[in-house]
Amino acid sequence: MCDFQPKLVAWLDNELPENQAAEVERHVQACQQCRAERDRYEQVSKTFDAYCDALISAKTHPNVLRWVPAVSGALLALAATVLLFTLQRPRIDPRPPATPRAAVTVQALAAEPVLSAEPVAPKKIHRRQAILPVQEQVQQPTAKWQPPDTAVQITIPAETMFAPGAIPEGMNFVAELSIGPDGSVERLRLRP
Amino acid sequence: MSDDSVPLALPFLRFADSSSEVTALYRELRKPLLRYLVCLGLSSDEAQDVVQDSFVSLQHHLAAGGTQDNIRGWLFRVAHNQARNRQTSYHRRFADPLDSEMDFVAGDATPEKAILEKEKFRRLRAAVGLLPESERECLLLRAGGLRYREIGDVLGLATSTVADTVERAIKKLAEKCNV
Repeated sequence: MCDFQPKLVAWLDNELPENQAAEVERHVQACQQCRAERDRYEQVSKTFDAYCDALISAKTHPNVLRWVPAVSGALLALAATVLLFTLQRPRIDPRPPATPRAAVTVQALAAEPVLSAEPVAPKKIHRRQAILPVQEQVQQPTAKWQPPDTAVQITIPAETMFAPGAIPEGMNFVAELSIGPDGSVERLRLRP
Repeated sequence: MSDDSVPLALPFLRFADSSSEVTALYRELRKPLLRYLVCLGLSSDEAQDVVQDSFVSLQHHLAAGGTQDNIRGWLFRVAHNQARNRQTSYHRRFADPLDSEMDFVAGDATPEKAILEKEKFRRLRAAVGLLPESERECLLLRAGGLRYREIGDVLGLATSTVADTVERAIKKLAEKCNV
């Protein structure tokens, strides 16, 4: 065995005085056996360091890593379920259905027969023969919007227009409303 | 918390004079101390506690005008003694099988490399388990970056004894591990 071998580890650890370190270095360059021992000691030191690093990593992180796949899988499944459910739901328009003005039919209870914006001119009035409750009208399909008609009939509760007892019970009036092309009211008439 | 951050729980700010010095030491030595303590057999949480307690002791030591010579060795010695106080079954715990832990090491490696790495660590662990306690501790402190003189301060050994012990331990590992 070479006399320098006992100093190799201390030399690798930079623990030798400068003069001894230089002497060992020169010897190692010339001695093949010491070079081989140096390589072995270096390899052992590296392995030991890696072992310590692995040990602290294993003690610090294993629980997290074990749970990561399970938690990730559960989150992905949940996200996929929510996405699927969302895509399959019918789309609901938050806006209330538009009611065509021309389809509004109303029953009014009133006493005063006529409130005209201009002299009576019945020629362009479109009369609805059937006076239907508002609810039924609202429930009808209204997906397709229709251009406004020229006449509109509106139901107005008699209590909001006349004092109690001002009109006989059971008397019905139909309010006829004519609307111009620009949306303005052209004529309003109450008819028994 | 990042590796070099300083936990707010440490009462450094009460000692304005030495707080910056202790903070710098904490950033430098926290990781080596943790590694040393974990390799001694403490759990990660225990090691964290010991490291914090050690730095609190250091703060008191400096505030009381204690010597600042070889402060790294002082810290490791305090941590070493605290670990000893917490751990009464050192041999048994250090010799625990590490197979499941080595699975973690092999996580990001190729299967072939993982097997080789695992086998290498298995042989090393067996060889380390056969070392006398003084040799094992010298190696652990050396792996923590301590000089021979600092190791001697921690373990109460002469520097020359540390050199002989380290050299003997490395040779044994090289032979047992067939490196």
